[in-house]
Amino acid sequence: MPETYRPEVIDHLVRPRNVGDLAEPSGVGESGDAACGDIARFSVGIEDNTLRDVRYKVYGCAACIAAGSALSELVRGKNLLDAARVSKEDIRDALGGSLPAGKEHALTLVLDALHKAFEDHWNRAAGDMLVEGYGGADTNSGKTVVAAMSGGVDSAVTALLLKEAGYDVATVTFRLHDGERGSRSCCSPDTVLFARDTAHRMGLPHFTLNLKDLFQKRVMRDFVGSYEKGRTPNPCVACNAHVKFHAAAFLADGLGFHHVATGHYARVAEGPALARPKDATKDQTYVLWPIPQKLLARTIFPLGDYEKTEVRRIAEECGLAVAYTPESQDICFIPDGNYRKFVRKKVAAEPGEVVDATGKVLGNHAGVVDFTVGQRRGIGVSAPAPLYVTEVRLRSKQVVVGRRKDLEVREVRVRDLNWFLAPEEARSVQVRYNGSPVPCEIEEPEDGEWVARLAEPAMGVAPGQSAVFYSEDGERVVAGGVVARRGS
Amino acid sequence: MTEHRVYLDHAATTPLDERVLAAMLPHLEGRRGNPSSLHASGAAAREAIEEARESVASLVGASPEEIFFTAGGNEADNLALLGMARAAESSGKRHLVVSAVEHAAVREAAHHLEGSGWEVSWIGVDADGLVDPEDFAAALRSDTALAAVMWANNEVGTVQPVEELAVVCAERGVPFHTDAVQAAGRVSIDVERVPASTLALSGHKLYGPQGVGALYVREGVSLGPVVFGGGQEKGLRSGTENVAGIVGLGTAARLACEELEERVRHETGLRDRLIAGTVALPGVSLNGHPEKRLSNSVHLSVEGVEAESMVLFLDALGYEVGSGSACASSSAGHKASPVLLAMGQDDYEAFSVVRITTGKDNTVGEIKGFLDAFSTAVTQLRELSPLSTT
Repeated sequence: MPETYRPEVIDHLVRPRNVGDLAEPSGVGESGDAACGDIARFSVGIEDNTLRDVRYKVYGCAACIAAGSALSELVRGKNLLDAARVSKEDIRDALGGSLPAGKEHALTLVLDALHKAFEDHWNRAAGDMLVEGYGGADTNSGKTVVAAMSGGVDSAVTALLLKEAGYDVATVTFRLHDGERGSRSCCSPDTVLFARDTAHRMGLPHFTLNLKDLFQKRVMRDFVGSYEKGRTPNPCVACNAHVKFHAAAFLADGLGFHHVATGHYARVAEGPALARPKDATKDQTYVLWPIPQKLLARTIFPLGDYEKTEVRRIAEECGLAVAYTPESQDICFIPDGNYRKFVRKKVAAEPGEVVDATGKVLGNHAGVVDFTVGQRRGIGVSAPAPLYVTEVRLRSKQVVVGRRKDLEVREVRVRDLNWFLAPEEARSVQVRYNGSPVPCEIEEPEDGEWVARLAEPAMGVAPGQSAVFYSEDGERVVAGGVVARRGS
Repeated sequence: MTEHRVYLDHAATTPLDERVLAAMLPHLEGRRGNPSSLHASGAAAREAIEEARESVASLVGASPEEIFFTAGGNEADNLALLGMARAAESSGKRHLVVSAVEHAAVREAAHHLEGSGWEVSWIGVDADGLVDPEDFAAALRSDTALAAVMWANNEVGTVQPVEELAVVCAERGVPFHTDAVQAAGRVSIDVERVPASTLALSGHKLYGPQGVGALYVREGVSLGPVVFGGGQEKGLRSGTENVAGIVGLGTAARLACEELEERVRHETGLRDRLIAGTVALPGVSLNGHPEKRLSNSVHLSVEGVEAESMVLFLDALGYEVGSGSACASSSAGHKASPVLLAMGQDDYEAFSVVRITTGKDNTVGEIKGFLDAFSTAVTQLRELSPLSTT
């Protein structure tokens, strides 16, 4: 690495290109803050997916000024996809090679500002569409795909497999909430920056969409609200139902692309119907059931045909830096995993009684939000045999407890169903993420609810959780829905 | 790139005076002796060193026996703090009083002691960078082993009330160290008037060579060595002497003594012209004390313009100035100068500074040319800045 700046950098410093702000930009983005000491702003004018004009401003070291200037030259007039493909490496090359030690962050800073301007462009174009829910137009065809990119190994390999299969791939990372790693500072490890680097190393364009309002409205509010109502929510289900696939479809439509793809382990069967993946241990059909069929029709799950171990190997062989990232298991917006604490911060605790099935008072509890059906820990009542929560009664603030066998149900009521196949194809139902399907028969709806009569008892069926029906071969999802009040 | 380059960064280092070079050359060329040797060559080297010692002593009003040569100002400061700490080991005194605006040579030595169990009272400064003598006196305790306040600040150029501080310390029996690296050769120094226990200076800030400095140690003050070996410099600083460097420092000290008045007069004129020309631009203001400042130092805040880009822009126009802040850019971002933060500036203000320090050989014409270049740089960089409101 050189100790001093190259002449190219000094040239951009003294004669910077494209300085200023656009009078009527279609997007503006800023990166950096007082703690960094550098700040960059890009404004872009995008028409028909072409970057007609770009202007930038920088307060910062010579490297930041030169990098901003060089980047503006690299992207001006380009097709939006090619502009979104320009990488730190490209800027470095335009500046004649590597920057002095400690100055490489300039490349990240200016690229981030440009990408935030793109993000602003998309969010302006989306208006309320994304918050209200976007069904997708899908007026395009061809081997084009928008691949969701979280920064993890699965989504990186997804994009790679699609690229190798001959698709035109554009990647997208969603900003969902403020608890993301490093989301407050431009210079610390950041999920979005990492995903962008990963995409750029594969030569793929990368975009960011800000879905914080949508995620807040459709996922986080519902998550907290469910506990308030004594139900057990599944935020991943809510996100798949309302957020991810809609947003990816929105971007695909905006770019004139046909398909959307994610790194989920599932397949799309004839129908189209959601189907189980090759790697049964990674099966995510249980949380993917709410994808509208219209969106599923244009969805690709490349990992559905791979084992997780194969995916890791592919990432290693291709030198993707994501290969060793740990599995994310927790709810993404509660990084410490303590979801009780998270709910408690939003909801006032309502103390009440702990009772048995006969209504006998066994003790007191600090709030119904702390309990969910099937729970064993934290009941706070001593008993000769383990006690389980069998019911949460919201109105009376009572938590009903009983023995393990009291959790058994023979009947599950399901509402809000999303159908892929005809109801008569349903042969079994799964009621927990890692549970096994139980053979069942389903009955015609009454009041919008379907009833599944189970061939054998199921344990701890909590209202609010998902119930997913599978076909006779056990592979295809017939429908999914939400468990309503407890069956008898 | 302009061919004619104008050097305005004398606080960083000064050019080597040709008369100093001439005095050094005989000691770099031909036969040379080790000052510790008994033969004629050794004696000649020894004699040259003692002559230099007298010149340095004269510059600060000391006796030659009170001057100890080191490998620079940084080492002299380290020797003062760490040497005093070692000497104080048996006394049980484990407290230091240090100003918040010290050069890293003092600040980091104090941090090192803090890390090994010493207690340090950091004395703040006002918006002009001045230590309040009352705050300083109030921080002194019965277990204070050393107090240290620099003579003049290397960034903003503020000259501290060292006489008052040294007198308070003398009265309270607390050893007082002052870093006079920037002051030596620009301020009249007399250790009779300013009763410091130790005082550090450096060769390359007064037109002497780099890599040589000196520590004045008042007679009767005892320091422990931090470098061990051959026992040179009365055991306080082992290692074969840098004869040519010491001769250079001695010559530079002698010239500084002789020319001090003329240099100060000349530099003050250039400085005031610089200040008047720069602060006339909107959003440009002077940092440091308006009067109690070094004769050659101009330190400016320039709204909306980051230091490094300013320095490199001026460099491209042929003018060499300092960023005036320890702007150690890294992957974690800038580090704002602790001096400016201590003076109450916020991060952006502390990043938006430039230091212009004149020398004895700068001309009025050069200053005029600089003012034009400065105006161009400020205008262009402000057009670039998303922060600028001016």
